[in-house]
Amino acid sequence: MWDKETAERTYHRIGILGWILFAFLMGLFLRLWYLSVLQGDWYRERSERNWVRIIPLQALRGNVYDCNGKILAEDLPRFRLVLLEGSMKVEEARNKVEKVLGRGLGSEFREIAPGEIVLLEDLSLEEVIKVEEAQGDLPGVVVESYPLRFYPASEAFSHVVGYVGKVTSEEFKSLGPLGYEVWDRVGKGGVELFYENLLRGEKGYRRIEVDALGRVRRVLENHPARFENSIVLTLDRDFQEYCYGLLGNHRGTIIIGKPSTGEVLVLVSKPGFDPNDLVKGLSTEKWTKLTQNEAKPFTNRAVQATYSPGSIFKLLVAIAGLDEGIISAQTTFFCPGFLEYNDKHYYCWNRTGHGTVNVEKAIAHSCNVFFYNLALRLGPEKIASYAQKFGLGVKPDFDLPGVKEGFLPTPNWKRQARREIWYPGDTLNLSIGQGYLLVTPFEIYRLLCGIATRGKIYRPHLLKGVLDSKGRLIKDNRAVLEREIRIKESTWNLLINGMKRVVTQGTGYACRGIPVELAAKTGTAQNPHGKDHSWFGGFFPVENPEITFLVFVENGGDGSGEAAHIANDLIRWFLEKRGVERGRR
Amino acid sequence: MGEDKVLVAVVVALCLVGILAVYSVDPMRGEGWGVRSFFGRQIIWNIAGWSLFLFFAFLDYRFLARGGWLFYLLMCLSLGGVLLFGTGDETGARRWLFSQSVQPAEFAKLFLVLFLGFYMNANKEEFDSYALLLKSGVLSLVPVALVFVEPDLGTSLVLLITWLGTLFVCGFGGRKLGVVFGGLAVLGSSGWLFLKEYQKKRIMAFLNPWKDPLGSGYNVLQSQIAIGAGGLTGQGWLSGKQSQLRFLPARHTDFIFASFCEQTGFLGGALILLLLGVLVWLSVRIARNALDLEGKIFASLIGVVFGFQFFVNTGMNMGIMPVTGIPLPFVSYGGSALLVNLAMVGLLYNIANSRRKEVGRRRFG
Ligand SMILES: [Zn+2]
Repeated sequence: MWDKETAERTYHRIGILGWILFAFLMGLFLRLWYLSVLQGDWYRERSERNWVRIIPLQALRGNVYDCNGKILAEDLPRFRLVLLEGSMKVEEARNKVEKVLGRGLGSEFREIAPGEIVLLEDLSLEEVIKVEEAQGDLPGVVVESYPLRFYPASEAFSHVVGYVGKVTSEEFKSLGPLGYEVWDRVGKGGVELFYENLLRGEKGYRRIEVDALGRVRRVLENHPARFENSIVLTLDRDFQEYCYGLLGNHRGTIIIGKPSTGEVLVLVSKPGFDPNDLVKGLSTEKWTKLTQNEAKPFTNRAVQATYSPGSIFKLLVAIAGLDEGIISAQTTFFCPGFLEYNDKHYYCWNRTGHGTVNVEKAIAHSCNVFFYNLALRLGPEKIASYAQKFGLGVKPDFDLPGVKEGFLPTPNWKRQARREIWYPGDTLNLSIGQGYLLVTPFEIYRLLCGIATRGKIYRPHLLKGVLDSKGRLIKDNRAVLEREIRIKESTWNLLINGMKRVVTQGTGYACRGIPVELAAKTGTAQNPHGKDHSWFGGFFPVENPEITFLVFVENGGDGSGEAAHIANDLIRWFLEKRGVERGRR
Repeated sequence: MGEDKVLVAVVVALCLVGILAVYSVDPMRGEGWGVRSFFGRQIIWNIAGWSLFLFFAFLDYRFLARGGWLFYLLMCLSLGGVLLFGTGDETGARRWLFSQSVQPAEFAKLFLVLFLGFYMNANKEEFDSYALLLKSGVLSLVPVALVFVEPDLGTSLVLLITWLGTLFVCGFGGRKLGVVFGGLAVLGSSGWLFLKEYQKKRIMAFLNPWKDPLGSGYNVLQSQIAIGAGGLTGQGWLSGKQSQLRFLPARHTDFIFASFCEQTGFLGGALILLLLGVLVWLSVRIARNALDLEGKIFASLIGVVFGFQFFVNTGMNMGIMPVTGIPLPFVSYGGSALLVNLAMVGLLYNIANSRRKEVGRRRFG
């Protein structure tokens, strides 16, 4: 019914509409104020997460050079295809990319960083261009450059230079606090590991603006990855590669260096592995095959494996005997081919006997009987103490990771560890480098260096210098005299004369005719598991030794055999390609 | 200044803001002022709309009201036509006639206002009776249902609110209104079962957008981010990252408020709120001062239609209303809506003006 009352109610109701409007309007104003003013910073940050992508760039590593400036390890630029998550489904992206490139992609994609999926590694330049041209169809797919570690000398340097790999979750526990991420590269062996702090560069990043489809609109900020330092090693790439080849199918090691500075020119261990395979990532199957190989390709035989030194140890017994005054140049023993002691026969390697032998002849012909007699007069403690002076059984200060030391047996050790007394037979075994005694090839190399310098022990090293990022030398690693062993001059003369005669008259006949005066010693390590291991080491030129070398060949027969032949080849190579300053005949 | 002049000034300002806002997010902006560009078309719609404004402003609205049943018939026929012959859009909803040029649902807003004004006035003797409530309800729910099944949830809500507004303004008693709301609540909750999946998702997303920030919650979040990122003074003209890099969906239509706020900040957003607030307030004022019942109902329903769309649209942009696909009057891109809105402003102007004339005649005549 329309009456005055209804008309007034209508009027009243319209008024209420006004109040409702007012209330809503206030609510909207407050909400707008809350969003844009009170929460503005938070939402601005949220918005940036929409359109700003931060792409981490892998840190570059410094190069590794040999002493002649040849490359041993470097970073090569490579390209990979990365899908920024959220812009396209992975399957869709794969189909599109396959169409653009005209080839299939793998089925497994790994995430290198949160929200970044690698579709394809190692693109060729043509493929990079194809993808860039098709950018419009491939939102969120970006070509990213990354460094790939490359080792041009491959296997020959696998142990000494090492390789790099991704930080494992195990390593991340300790490396995480140092700023490493799980997708970073870290040195895994050799100098790559030892000089990680020098070689490791700085990570970079790129801030890019993307639209809602993930298409890259522009680069906001580019902060390239860098490296700080490169390193120069004392190693000689050509020489090392030649030596690695010389070992042929044998297992063994060759160490060559300069005794008067401590620089190491060659340090090979065979078999090795191809570090380039490891950098790219091996399949589990291949990895197991490598690690479970009974030839132990990952072991650096020069510094991480121990063997009996065999006759090469006689040099040390001779030094001890002469220096202690137990024998002199004139002292002789008679070798009938064996020594009878306590009703037992201890044989010389030459069963027909060496006759009357003085110290020079004993070294030259490696007469066991002479050293049996000497050792019985000397005693095992004296031998051990001289061995220790030369660094045997002591962990060396050397710039490689995982360096091991050998083992020097003493009567004390035998009593405590084995609960047995030390028999004279043990002394006899010790005198010819057999029995409990164990050495690393590197220890024998250092013994030879000590003889070459007549007691001046220089710290062995692989690092020759450090370069800055522009290639300027910023640190020169000079020779450091670690210590000096005081031995009578006449002892050195006798010993070195003996070693000269090893080549000219004795067991080192394989090296006769080399156009430089050479001092050397053979060694044969008895091997209960097979053919004897073969040692051959020495230095040249005798007058002013520039080079010390040591060849060790597993199952190489006696020392005058395989190892000596290899030594012959490498000395001739060195004289021809590098030469010595003095002492040439 | 008379409220008719203020009204025109406010609506002109809103239309200009709309053209600028559409321009700022126009993907075809680079191609000049041609008809392919959104803002070019928006300008053309404005010209057409203002012509319609003049038609409605100077025609006697009482004469217009006499065609009430004609409007009702026109509305139902065109809405039925959409369901039979309409063309769909990308969501699969059929909303268009004449190859995407006319959206009958938009015109239904105007027609329903005209019809209800006429119908209630004609039956004013029956005010506050269940009979009229039922009759007007049945008549109004026909277009509501037709639009709802297109489906266009937003517009059908606007039409429903128009009817509820009519009951409210016509002074129906509190108990009757309670019965209507209760009935609608029951209908609404059972209607949940008939909602399309995407509509359910939208409502769920409104309740908790962070649950699925890349899926159904995306719109709600991105528009809030855009408004928030604008800060007090905005990121600058044409430089909002959310809109320019297209993180914000429906930048030129449903979420134009957010993209405008991103560029102009709180100040720009407040300007739009203020202009629309003044427009609705003017509608209420004109309704209160209208001389006859028809004028009162017309003006207040226009206020309700504008106000509801205004609140729901800006509210959903700011995350306090569900995403229902209701455009912002005068500002969102869209021809049909602009024509209808300007026609309604013309009607308002007409009502305001006739009162002034009447008052003038009384004073001087
Ligand atoms: Zn003998």
